[in-house]
Amino acid sequence: MGQDSKIRVLVAKPGLDGHERGAHVVAYGLRDEGFEVIYTGLRQTPEQIVSAAVQEDVDVIGLSILSGAHLSLTKKIMEGLKAKGANDVLVTVGGVIPEEDKKTLEEMGVAGVFTSGSKIKDIAALIRTKLGKNA
Amino acid sequence: MIEAARKSNERALAKLISHVEDRKPGWKDIMKAIYAETGRTCVIGVTGSPGSGKSSLVSEFAKQLGDMGYAIGIIAVDPSSPFSGGAVLGDRIRMRDISTYKNIFIRSMATRGMLGGLCQAARDVVRIMDFAGRDIVIIETVGVGQDEIEVVSASDYVVLVTYPGGGDSVQAIKAGVMEIADIFVVNKCDRDGADVIVSEISAMLDLSTETVEKIPPVIKTSTFTKEGIDKFMEILSEFIQKKEKGLHFQEEHVRQEVMSILETEMVSLIKEKISSDGNMEKELKLILSGKSDPYSVADELIKRVAGI
Amino acid sequence: MKKNSKEEIKEALKKWEDEILNPRVKKFNLDKSPTSFYTPLSWDNSHFLEKVGFPGQFPFTAGNNPFDFWRAYANFAAKAGFRSDWGGSGKSGKYGGFGTPADYRDYLFKMQSMGRYGGPNIAFDLATQCGYDSDSSFAEGEVGRVGVAVDSMQDFAVIYEAYTGNLEIDKVPSNFTINAPAAVIIAMYACLAKKRGIPLNKLEGTPQNDILKEFIARGTYIYPPAPSLRLFRDTCVFCCKNMPALNINSIGGYHIREAGATRVQDLAFSMANGIAYIEAGLEGGLEVDEFVPAFTFNAFGGSMEIYQEIAFQRAARRVWAHILRDRFHAKNPKSMQIRQPITAHIGCSSATLQRPLNNLARAVVGGIAAGMSGGIAGAFPPFDEPLGLGHSQEATQLQQDASRILIYEAKVTDICDPWAGSYFMESLTDEIEKDALAELEKIEKMGGAVAAIENGYMPRAVAKSAYDRQKKIENQEELVVGVNCFTGEHEIDVSINRVVEATYDPELMKTAEERQKANLARLKRERNGTAVVSSLRSLKVQAEDKDKNLMPAICECVENDATLQEICDVLREVFGEAQPMKL
Ligand SMILES: Nc1nc2c(ncn2[C@@H]2O[C@H](COP(=O)(O)OP(=O)(O)OP(=O)(O)O)[C@@H](O)[C@H]2O)c(=O)[nH]1
Ligand SMILES: [Mg+2]
Repeated sequence: MGQDSKIRVLVAKPGLDGHERGAHVVAYGLRDEGFEVIYTGLRQTPEQIVSAAVQEDVDVIGLSILSGAHLSLTKKIMEGLKAKGANDVLVTVGGVIPEEDKKTLEEMGVAGVFTSGSKIKDIAALIRTKLGKNA
Repeated sequence: MIEAARKSNERALAKLISHVEDRKPGWKDIMKAIYAETGRTCVIGVTGSPGSGKSSLVSEFAKQLGDMGYAIGIIAVDPSSPFSGGAVLGDRIRMRDISTYKNIFIRSMATRGMLGGLCQAARDVVRIMDFAGRDIVIIETVGVGQDEIEVVSASDYVVLVTYPGGGDSVQAIKAGVMEIADIFVVNKCDRDGADVIVSEISAMLDLSTETVEKIPPVIKTSTFTKEGIDKFMEILSEFIQKKEKGLHFQEEHVRQEVMSILETEMVSLIKEKISSDGNMEKELKLILSGKSDPYSVADELIKRVAGI
Repeated sequence: MKKNSKEEIKEALKKWEDEILNPRVKKFNLDKSPTSFYTPLSWDNSHFLEKVGFPGQFPFTAGNNPFDFWRAYANFAAKAGFRSDWGGSGKSGKYGGFGTPADYRDYLFKMQSMGRYGGPNIAFDLATQCGYDSDSSFAEGEVGRVGVAVDSMQDFAVIYEAYTGNLEIDKVPSNFTINAPAAVIIAMYACLAKKRGIPLNKLEGTPQNDILKEFIARGTYIYPPAPSLRLFRDTCVFCCKNMPALNINSIGGYHIREAGATRVQDLAFSMANGIAYIEAGLEGGLEVDEFVPAFTFNAFGGSMEIYQEIAFQRAARRVWAHILRDRFHAKNPKSMQIRQPITAHIGCSSATLQRPLNNLARAVVGGIAAGMSGGIAGAFPPFDEPLGLGHSQEATQLQQDASRILIYEAKVTDICDPWAGSYFMESLTDEIEKDALAELEKIEKMGGAVAAIENGYMPRAVAKSAYDRQKKIENQEELVVGVNCFTGEHEIDVSINRVVEATYDPELMKTAEERQKANLARLKRERNGTAVVSSLRSLKVQAEDKDKNLMPAICECVENDATLQEICDVLREVFGEAQPMKL
């Protein structure tokens, strides 16, 4: 029986911000790129996101944050992953991210920051390259 | 990995599941290695029409079972896209409240268009969770595809969920699901029309079941107002306690499983053979030019493959 | 000259297509013409009175009024150099809010010292919008961030310390961008007036109070749709009976479109929600003309397609007017009008992060569409909107000047419904109307707005549309300048100096959460605990009876200093909690 490996992505919205458009578009887009997307919906706490990422054994977490709370939320999630030994999971952040915060996020270990106008194809390509997977 | 998973390390368990689900090299050895240590978990299948409230209900009763001290595993199956092979798996959305419970482990699974293989893959995941110390494993699938029905039919206890307002709910219950259900749940009873559905289902069961003792219970629930959840828990716990005392491997289930593994393995063997053998191009040409027919070609190919 | 007959035109059209159009299409090797041309065959004007009518008359296609209030005084305002409060409109101030109530109050004082006297236009932080107090674990990191934190009546009163004397609450209107806990905020407003000895019927303003669209677009819901609508009913009856000068709601086409809905979905879904609100009011025992005149709409529309947006405004007015007259038998023309402070516009989602100054040109397009469809020619939003750092003085100045240029120099708003009778515009208006009505019918077949939210139809349809648009942009079916075309190396990213004036103090923002939690702890210590418990208990009893209006009980809770979350928690217990949508 042949190998049937898929890239698994957790798309999550931490915090109380309810603007789901970006998260929905990315979830649909990555599905059409052949990824398995676990969509956990609104109002996820960092603990819930970390726990879902571990249990689902995802390769990537895509966070969508438009409330301006991206730095503190991402930091908590990165720390949570580390605590569970899951710091090899790629983390990307999308939303309204000012230029100067991009660098801070990257320093935290975020693999990619995507703002308005980003293409799904580019997001998918970045994920494939960083994972070295072609699935 | 196996050792860590045995100690119920979440990450190891998750990785083990991926390894087997992806059918990575060595997956079968893993299954062989753990098989002897499995078979004590109680498997509850939950199925029913889309949007009937399966995930909400699972979240509710998993939490209660968790509070009772059971270690729980949940497998939530959603379909893969037939076009891209990808999937959006969303059942976790309804399980937010339990997603960080210490003794609950939730895993989403896509159907991956596996020819009858879903059933085996799901069974394997159940087994890994069993090995990792889960007392109860709950599988949720949408009761539409044949594959998905097969998945729940392999469980010890089958919960069928319907709801008022979902079109002709009762008519929509697929033949084949009706027969395997151990309990009928009419969810969303906070809405009008639940009683009608309860009586319709009861009437249908009266007609189709031979003995009164065998008639499965039909209950109303609401995950919003929590009405009927206690009753549901009562019936479920009773079953779980019975199962804890009862037999582990049932001959019939084992037979089914061996057959199912054989089927998938045979199909992939045949496919491999065919693709290494010119991909049927010659045979197809014969059929298309009217020199042969699909039946003769199939007979011919079986002979060839069986000869290996 | 002899009149043209339809046959003659038809014949001439055929001839034109054969001899002029098609050969040209062929010459350029195209499948079809890239342009369209409309003729009297495209629209039959023999029902002009029923379909268009006069401005200010049913069906209001040509506008709610021959001219609005602002237009009457426009020239006077220009000569006097009148500047509406910075970023606000009319008597209401700039939309905003941050930090603790005291932080925001002090900010408002500072603004007033700079000559900005608009009424409160309050943005609440997300915790408040979702019914959590500042000490809840859900509020962590959110307190005072995208708006001001309000946990109790006392907090509300602190903000309003900035509004006394000439700015007393019977003199300036208040706007509250809040939905799920709107009942609590309205109760606070009523309670504040009572404390200040101001009659409730003097209070003006608009609570957003549009909970159904939260399930489709903004996501700040608390309870499931059905009990949410019951709360709407209660606020609707309460406002109607006690605060007749206050608007009841602000129904949001805007947010639905921003979430990705198509024009037709936007119109149909907003109408479906509007119908649900009307039915809720009727269920509360009100007469249609008693309360629907107090409904408002929130900036219906939002795209760059100028013709379509003009037609959309016209179609929306006609659809709503017909629903009110034909279905609900309204008699008062005010019930039949879509009242909205901002009309056509491009929507924030049309503004691009790439080469942001281009957004000024884009906003002007929206301003023209608004001016040509019965609204103020507002060039919205300021060009730096997508940068996410607050609007700069420069962007706001350019935006205001652009609107003024449209009004005074281009004279866009001197003609009422300039497109009336255009074969093209009328047929486009008819088409949007027809498609929206078909979509509306689909929702009604499901059982109306609440059912179409519960079964996920409306939110999922919007998500699909958002994805379709994204795909179109990615494969260049839709072109966006500077984003997916004209991005070559010789293009210049023009920038100008940007000063964001009077931003919120970042130091205060950092400590807001701690300070607000301390405020809350003090409140909980000092208030009369027995009164809180007993008023919450009586709220619970009332909530369990669907026929009871909850506003008196909520007012009592608020007066006794029960917190916003305590009130919401009681209702959560009775109503259950809404679940996010599964894709
Ligand atoms: N009124 C009411 N709605 C409910 C109840 N339980 C669930 N729902 C709602 O029904 C919708 C579907 O619930 P889910 O739990 O996702 O149903 P499901 O059967 O798992 O759905 P799929 O996995 O998509 O087939 C959601 O909007 C729930 O909030 C209930 O008891 N009453
Ligand atoms: Mg489900």
